Amino acid sequence: MPQQTNTTTRASLWPGLLTMILFVLVPYSYAAFTGTPQPETSGLARVHSAAESIYCVKGISPVTSILLIELAVLLIVVLWAWLKQGEPGGKTAVFHQHGWYLFTLALLIAIPFIIAWQTNSSPCTRGKAFFWQSIYIDVFILAILALSYNLMFGFTGVVSFGHAAFFGTGAYAVGLFMKHLEWPWWLAILASLLLGILIALIKGFVGLRIKGLYFALFTLAFAEVFFLLAGNRIMVNITGAEDGFTFTVPDWLNMTKNRLFFYYLTLTFLTLAFITIYRLMHSPTGSVLSALRDNEERAQMIGYNTFHFKLLAIVLAGIMATMAGILRGLALKGASPNVLGLDFTMNPLLMSIVGGVATFSGPVIGAFMLRLTEQLLRDSIITIGTLSLNIGDHWTLILGIIFILSVMAFPHGIVGTWLSKNLHTRNGWITLFQRPKTNKDTFVQSSHPPSSTKHKETS
Amino acid sequence: MTTTFDSSPALRTGALRQSLLISALFVVGLLVINLLFFPVGTVAVVLLSGLYQGMLFFLVAAGMSIVFGLLDVLNLAQGSFFMLGAYAGFAIYGALPEGTPTTVRFVAALVGATLAGGLLGGVVEIALLRPLYVRPIFQIVLTLGLATAIEEIVREIYGPAGLIPIEPPAALDTTFGVFGAQFETYRLFIIVVGFLLMVSVSLLLQRTRLGIIIRAGVQDSEMVEALGINVRRVFTLVFVLGTAVAALGGMTAAPFLGAYPTMGTQFLLTAIIVIVIGGMSSYEGTAIASILVGLTRATAEQLSLQYFNTPILASVSALVFMVIVLLVRPTGLFGRE
Amino acid sequence: MEEKRVVLETRGLSRYFGGLKAVDGIDLRIHEGDLHSIIGPNGAGKTTLFNLLCGVLSPTRGQILLHGQDITGLPPYRLAHLGVGRSFQITNIFPTLSVFENVRLAAQALGRDNFRLFTPVTRLPHYVEKAYAALAETELLELAHVPAQQLSHGDKRRLELAILLAQDLDIWLLDEPTAGLASELVPGFMALVDRMRKAGNKTVVLVEHNMNIVMSLSDRISVMHQGKLLAEGSPQEIARDEAVQAAYLGTMYMDAEQ
Repeated sequence: MPQQTNTTTRASLWPGLLTMILFVLVPYSYAAFTGTPQPETSGLARVHSAAESIYCVKGISPVTSILLIELAVLLIVVLWAWLKQGEPGGKTAVFHQHGWYLFTLALLIAIPFIIAWQTNSSPCTRGKAFFWQSIYIDVFILAILALSYNLMFGFTGVVSFGHAAFFGTGAYAVGLFMKHLEWPWWLAILASLLLGILIALIKGFVGLRIKGLYFALFTLAFAEVFFLLAGNRIMVNITGAEDGFTFTVPDWLNMTKNRLFFYYLTLTFLTLAFITIYRLMHSPTGSVLSALRDNEERAQMIGYNTFHFKLLAIVLAGIMATMAGILRGLALKGASPNVLGLDFTMNPLLMSIVGGVATFSGPVIGAFMLRLTEQLLRDSIITIGTLSLNIGDHWTLILGIIFILSVMAFPHGIVGTWLSKNLHTRNGWITLFQRPKTNKDTFVQSSHPPSSTKHKETS
Repeated sequence: MTTTFDSSPALRTGALRQSLLISALFVVGLLVINLLFFPVGTVAVVLLSGLYQGMLFFLVAAGMSIVFGLLDVLNLAQGSFFMLGAYAGFAIYGALPEGTPTTVRFVAALVGATLAGGLLGGVVEIALLRPLYVRPIFQIVLTLGLATAIEEIVREIYGPAGLIPIEPPAALDTTFGVFGAQFETYRLFIIVVGFLLMVSVSLLLQRTRLGIIIRAGVQDSEMVEALGINVRRVFTLVFVLGTAVAALGGMTAAPFLGAYPTMGTQFLLTAIIVIVIGGMSSYEGTAIASILVGLTRATAEQLSLQYFNTPILASVSALVFMVIVLLVRPTGLFGRE
Repeated sequence: MEEKRVVLETRGLSRYFGGLKAVDGIDLRIHEGDLHSIIGPNGAGKTTLFNLLCGVLSPTRGQILLHGQDITGLPPYRLAHLGVGRSFQITNIFPTLSVFENVRLAAQALGRDNFRLFTPVTRLPHYVEKAYAALAETELLELAHVPAQQLSHGDKRRLELAILLAQDLDIWLLDEPTAGLASELVPGFMALVDRMRKAGNKTVVLVEHNMNIVMSLSDRISVMHQGKLLAEGSPQEIARDEAVQAAYLGTMYMDAEQ
C-alpha cells in the first residue's frame, strides 16, 4: 500500500503543473499575440503588471497581486493533488479517470481569451468578451448552487424545497454587513458563511426531527419566511423591501471593473465545490450518505447515527449554497428578494435533474446548459408565417416544459443516461435514484477497471 | 394482521380526542386575543373572514391531502388548478352572450370551472403522473414544474396583471351587519359553499363504497391492492375530484379576489401549511386545520393592520403556526406516527 | 452447557399498541453461543419482540439487559456498537450500492473513520479486506460489484448475512432469514448460518416458521403465543410439551403451509 501512495502523489503533480501552465501561458500568449503591453522587466513590478494584465485587476497592491496569483496556482495544484490522492492506477490514471475534468477546467480557464479572440475584443475592457464573462460568472454561481443542491437531494436523499434560504442569506448578509456595519470584505464574507452554517444547523436540528416530505415542506416554509421578511415594508430601511438594496465593494472585488479577476474567483470556488463533493463522496462519510439515501432504516441498524450524517450533509450543502449567494451578492453589488424566492430552489433542482441527479458533473452540466441556452435564446425571434415569437420572453415557460420533459423522459439526466448506456446498466431504471454502476462519472470508465477490483487482487 | 400497529381503535380515538381538544383550545385562545384587542363588531368580522379564508384553503388542500394519503404524491400543482378555476370562470363569463342574467352566468361558470378543473386534472394524472408511478419523489418534482408551467401559460394568455373580480349575482352582492360592522354577503356564500363541500366529501368518505376504499387505501394501500382493488384507478378518480374541487374553489373566489397568475402559488403555500398542520393524510385534520389557519391569519392580519399598517403578519403567522405544530407534534395535529 | 453466561435478558418486557398487547411481560434469557429460536403463530408478537430487542421500538414497560447492562430504549445504532445486529424478514439492503459497498459500509460502521470527510475509502484497506472476507464466506465474491438490487432473492439473503458477518458482532437477531427462499435452498442456507455462527461463537436469536430448521438447529426454543411466553426448553422438551402442541402447534403448521 505505501508504495502505491508514493506513485500516486508523484503522478498527481502532473495535472497541477499542466493547470499552472495553462493558467499562466494562455493569458501571456494571448497578450503576446494581440500585442497588449508586455510586462515590465523588473522584479516585483513585473509580477504586478503580470497580475494586472492576466486578471485585468486594477487598484491592487503589488504584494496582493503576487499573493493572488500564487494562491490561485497553489490552490489548484494542491486541490488537484488532493483529488488524485489514493486513486490506484499510477500516472496514466490521472488522465484516464480525470481527463475530462481536467480538459474542462483548462477550457474554462482559457475561455475568456478564446471569446476575446473570436469576437475580436479585449478581455479586459468593456465589450463582447467582457459581457460573456459575466454570463459565465452567473453560470459558475448557479453551478455551485446546483452542486450543493445535488449533495443534499441526489447523494444524501434529503429533499429540500428551501435551498433559496441559503442562497438568499448569502447574498443579503454579505451586503448588509458591508453596508450597514461597514465591516471589511473578509469579515463580511466570513460572517455570512457563519450565518449560513447557523441556518443549516437550525434547519437540521429542528427540521430533521420530522421525516421525509415534512422536512421538504418545512424548508419551503422556512425559505418563504425569509422571502416575506426581506421584501416587507417594515424592513425598508435595512433591506430596501421589494426593491432590494445595493452596496459598494472594494475595487479589486468589483465585477464591473475587474471582471476577469471575478471570473477566475468564481471559477476557483466552483472547482473547490466540485472537488469537495468529489472527495466527500469517495470518502467513508460519503458512502454513508449514499447508504442513507438508499435505506435509512438499515443504515441505523448497522450502527450509523443517521442524524449526524444528515446534519453534516445539510451543513456542507448550506456552506456551498451560502457561498454561491455571497458571490452573487458581490457580483451584483446588491440583493433583492428574488434571491430568496422559489426560483432559486427550482433552478438548482432543475439543473441537477437535467444534468443528472447523483452524478458529479451532472449539476454543473445542467447549470451550463440551462443558463447558456437561456442566454442564447434571449433575443432570438422565431417567425412562423405571420406569427413571430420572441423566445426570450417565454423563457420561464420553456424552462417549465424542459423541466417536465426531463423529469418524464430523462429522470437520470444527461450524465446519468450517458453512464447507464455506457455501462449497460439499464435494468435499475425503476428505482428512485438510479445511480451509475460505480460513482465515478468519467467517460473512459469502461476501458479502465473499477478501482475496487484492484483490492480484490491485493486482499 | 394482529401484529400491525397504530390503527387500533382505542389508540385512534384517544389521539383524536386529544387533537380535537388542542384545536378547540386554540380557537378559544384566538377568540380571547380577538376580544382583548378589538371591539365586538371587528371580532365578528375577523372570525367570519377567518372562516371564509379557511374554506378557500380547505378547497385547495382537501384534494392534496387525500391524494397524498393514497399514494404519497404531493400535488404541488393544486394551487394552479385553483387559479385555473378562477380564469375559467372569467372565460365562461366572457363567452356567454350579452344579456345573459348574472345568476345564469355565475352558475354556468361554477359548473364549467369545476368540470374544466376535473378534466385537466384527469389529463395531468394519466399523461404525466402515471408514467412516474415508480418514482414518487419525481412525481412531486414534476408537479412543481407543472405549477410553474401553468402559471406561465396563464401569464402568456391573460398577461401578468390580474383581472378585476367578476360580478356575482345581485342577491349575493350585498353586505349585512354584524354587531354594527359590515360584512359582504358573498363571503358568507363562500363559507356556505366550503362548508357544504366539507360535509359532502366527509359523507362520501364515510358512507359510500368508494369512500371506504379511499379510507382503507389511505391507511394501507398495499393491503387494499391485495384485496383486488385497483388503487391506481381510485387514485385517478380522487385526483380528478381534488382538482375539480380546487377549481371550484378558485371560481368561487373569483368574484371576490379576481384572478391573477400568482394566486396559485399563494394558495398552494397556505394549503401546504394546512395539510402539514392537519397531519398530511388526515381528512379531518385538513378540514380542521384549514379553519384554524384561516382564523389565525385573519386575527394576525387585523392585528398587524392595526399596529403596523401592513398585513405582513398574516402570512408569517401561518408559517410560525406550522413550525410550532411541527416542533410539538412532528406528524401534525391529526397525523399518524 | 448448564453454566453458560446469559448475554441477553429481558425482564417483564411489554409493548402495547393501544389496547393490543403485542408483547406482554416476556422474561427471556439467552445464553452465550446458543441458537435460541422464538416460535409462535402469526401475530404472536415475535416481530414486535425483535423490534424491541434491536431498539426500533421502545417498550411500554420492562427491561432489556445486555451482559447485565440495561440497554432499554437505546436507539438501534447504539446497539450495533454494543454488538447486537439484526437481519430482516423483508430483505433490507442498500439497493443501488454494489454488493461490496453494502458489506464494506457494514464493516466501516463500527470503526472510527466515519467522519473522515476527504479520505478515499480505498485508503482504508482494513474495511475493504473485512468486506471481502465476509463476501468470500458467504460465496458472494463474484457478485461483489453488481448493484445489490440486481441480486437474486437467495443472494440477497446471503448478502444480509455478509453484512452481519462483516461487523464482528456477538449477537445476531435473525428475523425469518429464509423467508421467501425456495425450499430447496433453505437447508443449504441454514447450514451456512450454522457454520458461521459456530465459527465465530455467535449467539443467535432466530425467528423461524420452518419447524424442521428450528428443531434441528436450535439449542433452545421459546414459544410465544398472544404476546406471552408459553413455554421454553430444548427442542426435545418443546416437541414433547403438550401445552404447546395443544395450544397451537397445529395452527402453526397451517400457517406454514399457506
